[in-house]
Amino acid sequence: MERLFCDPRRCVGCRACEIACAVEHTPSKDLFRSVLYGELGPPRRRVQTVGAEPYRVAIGGVALSLSCHHCDPAPCVDACITGAMHKEDGQTVCDVEKCVGCWMCVMSCPYGAITPKVKALKCDLCPDRRERTGRSRYACVEACPTEALFAGTFEEFQRVLAEPIRAVWEGAR
Amino acid sequence: MTERYVIVGASAAGSSAAETLRRHAPKAQITVVSDEKITYSKPLLSYYLAGQLGEEQLFFRAPDFYERYDIQRIHARAVGLRPEKNIVELSDGQKLQYDKLLLATGAAPRFPKVEGIRRDGVFGLRKLEDAQGILARLPNAKRAVVLGGGLVGLKVASALKERGLSVTVLVDSPHVLSQMLDESSARIFEKIFEQNGVNIYTKARPVAVLGQEKIEGVQLASGEVFECDIVVVGKGVDPSLELIEGTPIRKDYGILVDDSLRTSVENIYAAGDVAQARDVLRGEPWINALWPCAVEQGRIAALNMLGKEMSYRGSMRMNSVQFFGVPVISAGLAVLTPGPLGGRPGEHDETIESRPAPGIYRKIFLKDDTIVGFVLVGDVPIEAAGVLRILMERRVNVAPIKEELLELGPDLGRVLPLIVEHKERFVEREFQELVQTVGV
Repeated sequence: MERLFCDPRRCVGCRACEIACAVEHTPSKDLFRSVLYGELGPPRRRVQTVGAEPYRVAIGGVALSLSCHHCDPAPCVDACITGAMHKEDGQTVCDVEKCVGCWMCVMSCPYGAITPKVKALKCDLCPDRRERTGRSRYACVEACPTEALFAGTFEEFQRVLAEPIRAVWEGAR
Repeated sequence: MTERYVIVGASAAGSSAAETLRRHAPKAQITVVSDEKITYSKPLLSYYLAGQLGEEQLFFRAPDFYERYDIQRIHARAVGLRPEKNIVELSDGQKLQYDKLLLATGAAPRFPKVEGIRRDGVFGLRKLEDAQGILARLPNAKRAVVLGGGLVGLKVASALKERGLSVTVLVDSPHVLSQMLDESSARIFEKIFEQNGVNIYTKARPVAVLGQEKIEGVQLASGEVFECDIVVVGKGVDPSLELIEGTPIRKDYGILVDDSLRTSVENIYAAGDVAQARDVLRGEPWINALWPCAVEQGRIAALNMLGKEMSYRGSMRMNSVQFFGVPVISAGLAVLTPGPLGGRPGEHDETIESRPAPGIYRKIFLKDDTIVGFVLVGDVPIEAAGVLRILMERRVNVAPIKEELLELGPDLGRVLPLIVEHKERFVEREFQELVQTVGV
């Protein structure tokens, strides 16, 4: 199954993926309209600083954009008392209609990848984006300006990690 | 020959086991026996009681689950077990032959020793029929007394309050939720209940349910009487062990199982609220009667029944609940005041806490710089629960990030260096992928 991974060498911590994710999950699907209409909710993906110091990114440290890992077996699916959280073709999907907000999933997810906001919100792998827009399936991957986010299998991602990163402009440090 | 799997119980553990068996054994004969006609989610009963969910919303599996998975579901009570013959006897006279048996019989409400506690008008809340019984009485009820200030007691109290009743909760312990919270966080919820019009009396010892034809009230040891038309008991549950009586299956408080969730008798497994299995925090077998544990145990028991060796990591005391819009998640033994059923002395040597605003509370309990418990109250604090819980479960030394623990959000990234350092304890594929990713 295709999943999303973040290359920490490429991630500069700009949080463009967070904005794209939040916008993708609004009715208008448009940054400025969603601000105007107050539609923006929390992103289902968060840029995190690896380690304790908050400014490590600025000094060349490690930033990482993380969201649901679509685990198998998934602790959140085990924990769900309504059957809202379930597996579907390998993906972990939350049927928000069924969610009652008991936050058992929030307690169970070791990655902190579920946001409790009336309903349990999490990465849904942008199920209808490709058909709707004719563009990339994932809003976050498309928005990433440094190509840190990668969609594929972990084996494919490992090959990406094995490649050195070279600046296009030779004068770059 | 086709393998015959029999599961007694169709709730969290039973359903999870049945589903796992079918996934891995397409041709096996799978039979689930339940004394209840339909499979529904017991933790949702308080939502049903409050009128927030209808009966059709209590299903946690699709209505055609049994047909789709080709699982035979028998509506009968398992009344006898003959391990020497591999037979389960049912209340309708049927005898089911099994190759592998799973006991997922669950638990039943514990009724305190109080005069008149078994009379008409006194309810537990464990089965759909309990909830229906309470609902049927509501048109003629104005006042309710709830015995017990635990999770079920308080969920019932808030549900009945939403239904417009005047509600009084009588709690034995010095504070509510004594199996889940420390005193300071419990006081927050006592206040929330009082503000919402629910009366809570702690250190209250009921001795009698009063009334002749109908319920009239509950009397305390002090002589004080609380008038009411209905009584609901929420004093915890006891494992349902009737079926194993007279068999050589070893039991303690519940059915004792090893890390494969196998009982002391070959071919018989147990899972869910009836199974006393490894507890990662206590170091001795325990029952954490929790939905997530039951589902996981059902799956692991099923895998072992299929001959796929799978070891159970163990459960831990934890819970998540919301009252009148205020959520709380807690885990660990250290949170509990030492007592017979609660915590044990010496569980922690340090606590750190913050209460930045009313109704927002974080408290983390540490021992030797390892997290041994936490209580998080409020929308923002609870987001850190999953990350704190995994650090606690895997016994990670958090000394390097101790100063930051109270500000921790749902950010695994900030603790990732600790996970890399202890990567042998994070064997899950997803963790290993993360470790490899940041290791480049």
